[in-house]
Amino acid sequence: MPEVGSVPESWADDDQLFAALKEAVRAARAVPPEFVEAGKSAYAWRNIDAELASLTYDSTRDLVPSVRAETASIRALTFTSAHLIIELEVSGESLHGQVVPAGEGTIEIQTREGVAATVGVDSLGWFPIHPIPASPFRLRYHTSDGTDVLTGWITL
Amino acid sequence: MRDDPSVIRLVERARDGDQHAWNELVVRYAPLVWSVCNRYQLNRTDIDDVGQTVWLLLVEQLGNLRVSAALPGWLATTTQRECLRVLRAARRYDLTSSPEDSPVSPDQADALIEEEILAAELNAALRAAFADLPARCRQLLSMLLSDPPLSYTEISATLSVPIGSIGPQRGRCLERLRRSPYLATFSDHEIVGGETHDTRTSDAGGGQRA
Repeated sequence: MPEVGSVPESWADDDQLFAALKEAVRAARAVPPEFVEAGKSAYAWRNIDAELASLTYDSTRDLVPSVRAETASIRALTFTSAHLIIELEVSGESLHGQVVPAGEGTIEIQTREGVAATVGVDSLGWFPIHPIPASPFRLRYHTSDGTDVLTGWITL
Repeated sequence: MRDDPSVIRLVERARDGDQHAWNELVVRYAPLVWSVCNRYQLNRTDIDDVGQTVWLLLVEQLGNLRVSAALPGWLATTTQRECLRVLRAARRYDLTSSPEDSPVSPDQADALIEEEILAAELNAALRAAFADLPARCRQLLSMLLSDPPLSYTEISATLSVPIGSIGPQRGRCLERLRRSPYLATFSDHEIVGGETHDTRTSDAGGGQRA
């Protein structure tokens, strides 16, 4: 490993530096152009308007292993934004959600292909999603009073 | 390179809506994402799937300064985690393989990822330094870098320079490359603390990130 603050000492030698440059160019050429283009187009998913809700709890990540084993069939996720919380629970083939504080509105299900579906959120903040969308997906919650919250990408 | 101001600037510009800056980031680090996926021996469809997810997650994280300051590390660990997710999903339908039957053990993965991050940073810095060279140097070095390399005779004819001057010119161009500001900003290869470390710790526990 090179010293902190420096490139490898061997690069003082022309042939070594040239070999390193050759490897750097080779590594970039090995990547198919479509792979790079797909990465560029991911930028279209940049969120501009909605408030972001980030993942603050994931049962598969945050439970200790012994507990996790007992509850493995249920996956619980919590997304938190500055103003509200969206909780998700996955068991088997069903996915349910709860918005806190509760408020009627809609949940838009976004996949990489675009908006896959829209479901209603009832006055208790409850919403069902069926079938479970293809991963990754994310949820956008709208209400008539202007609430607009977008979760991070979810992979199940 | 975590402190590389040019990477941080690119992330800031991408966060502020500059598609070109985003493209540059993708071009710069796609080889890193690609090489991690190849280590897990994923098929092409799965690699594309992982790549898409990694870039989507990065778009979402553009405002997160801890990520932008450690971008290569974040990309490598995120890619690794997504590769493992794909492998786990595939295994659910393949009862012949055991749960431990991953091509890479966690310890190996930790060591390999450090190497990959370092190599990716060095490579990205070298490519950026190369792109920043005067046209004449880029031209000469490209000819020498082509596979198979052009002979001095061919280079002499193409560039209209004496054969005897090619060696010394190569030396001068490599010296310019060595002194490039892109390589001068190279520093601090330790991958510790912050987002990178947190993420990897949860991987080691077999965690699956949403």
